[in-house]
Amino acid sequence: MSSDYMIVEDHGTGGLLSKRLLDDVIVPKLKPVYLGKMEDSGIAPVLGNTLAMTTDSFVIDPIFFGNGDIGKLAICGTVNDLAVSGATPKYLTLAFILEEGFLISELSRILDSICKEAQEANVYILAGDTKVVGKGDVDKIYINTAGVGFFAPDQAPLSLSKINKDDHLIITGHVGNHGIHILSFRDGLGFETKVLSDCAPLNKVIQDVLSEFGEGIHYMRDITRGGVGCILNEIAAEIGFSIYLNESSIPMQQETVMAAEMLGIDPLYLANEGNLAIFCSPDISEKLVALLSQYDYTQNASVCGSVQATETTGTFLVTKEGSTRIINSFEGMQLARLC
Amino acid sequence: MKKYAVLTSNMQVAPANKHEARRESVKKFLPSLIDFLGVMRQKEIPVIHLQLAYDESDSRSKKPFGCYPPLVRGSDGVKLLPEMLQPNDIVIEKSRDSGFFNTDLDRVLKNLKVDSLIVTGMQAYSCVQFTAVDAFFRGYEVIVNCNAIGSTRDEDTEKAIKTMRKYCASVLESNEIYSLING
Repeated sequence: MSSDYMIVEDHGTGGLLSKRLLDDVIVPKLKPVYLGKMEDSGIAPVLGNTLAMTTDSFVIDPIFFGNGDIGKLAICGTVNDLAVSGATPKYLTLAFILEEGFLISELSRILDSICKEAQEANVYILAGDTKVVGKGDVDKIYINTAGVGFFAPDQAPLSLSKINKDDHLIITGHVGNHGIHILSFRDGLGFETKVLSDCAPLNKVIQDVLSEFGEGIHYMRDITRGGVGCILNEIAAEIGFSIYLNESSIPMQQETVMAAEMLGIDPLYLANEGNLAIFCSPDISEKLVALLSQYDYTQNASVCGSVQATETTGTFLVTKEGSTRIINSFEGMQLARLC
Repeated sequence: MKKYAVLTSNMQVAPANKHEARRESVKKFLPSLIDFLGVMRQKEIPVIHLQLAYDESDSRSKKPFGCYPPLVRGSDGVKLLPEMLQPNDIVIEKSRDSGFFNTDLDRVLKNLKVDSLIVTGMQAYSCVQFTAVDAFFRGYEVIVNCNAIGSTRDEDTEKAIKTMRKYCASVLESNEIYSLING
């Protein structure tokens, strides 16, 4: 097994081969966004006096998909988790768990992707780690990240407690596209070129809308695993109000609807990786949608629901036919490893 | 004038005998499919068999297929049902649901100047349905022969017929297809 083109056990032992992987592959590829100094800790200045911190792990299968890869997903997923709190994402850590035999050329592609997305999101890699495990102990590559973002001194984080009765709900992109793209790419369903992943860093658009609308925006969530259905249920359970969703206003791509019907899946439970649920004052919602529609990643934004006080708290769908049905959380679906 | 080809999906030893319920379901449509293919061959319409087989590097090649070993290329379970196969038929290996995914199928069809596909085989709700939708997206006219498709559960076949008819295909019986082809 050649250490020149594939990962071997000694790449993870801390010896000369580990150093060569770092010096020859990882650090050069990440140079534009790497702030670390190859010491045990990355050191960086703190901005403001409140921070947001998140961590996430990425185990997607397949690691390369039609318009992205596990590296892009790791950066965007981490950045978006920070940005929806209102924080400005700044520093990330990256930990790779690599399977023995994994091709270094594929690792290089992933590093290129990480660098590109980090540059777009204007975040820096402050620390990293690489471990190697035996053949079959992981599937090619897993990535764990941590991310830190900062709030301006006079800025309060967005929080569930800010959601009010009569708030409007905006969904910023086509529901379920990441899920359908990955399922189709994994199983060869024929939709993989028609429905692309929406994976994207949303921090720029989030910062811009927060600057423009400030206190009018009450809360945001990154719609990921569990889809719209699960996250709205989680939110409704916390806020003590009901959320009503208008089916005819939910942004959905026709091919995604088609694929979901063929698979027997409700698209409301499909994952996104670059889609937001935004709760805002009703008086700004149309202007907010108008601004969101000017950005590539949120061009399909739509006001598609509202917060209402009801006797029984829950999440409800007002169907195209005019009837109302409960949107439940699901117990579990066999849709593993989408991120 | 339209140029047709027939696709069969997964008419292979292991998929057709995965378990008792599957064997029973195949019995229901196999005679119709064999008759249909016979008529198509008489009319010199190409018959293309899509054969599910995994490369040893594919993680799916490690999983048993019902009572059969994994569907690794070259294994007994991968073989096409002998009653399906004639010498001039074309066989294309695939490793996923759609027969187009990472295969030469599109190139083969273009070389044959085919513009209309008649889709048959199993399972109706997976490989048949997703080959049909992929063909539709690639610009082929798609016809599903409802006498020559099946799934372990009849209700799954009915659901697939409904969605294919709704989105991407004409669903016709064998006799209707004969009439269509005869003009």
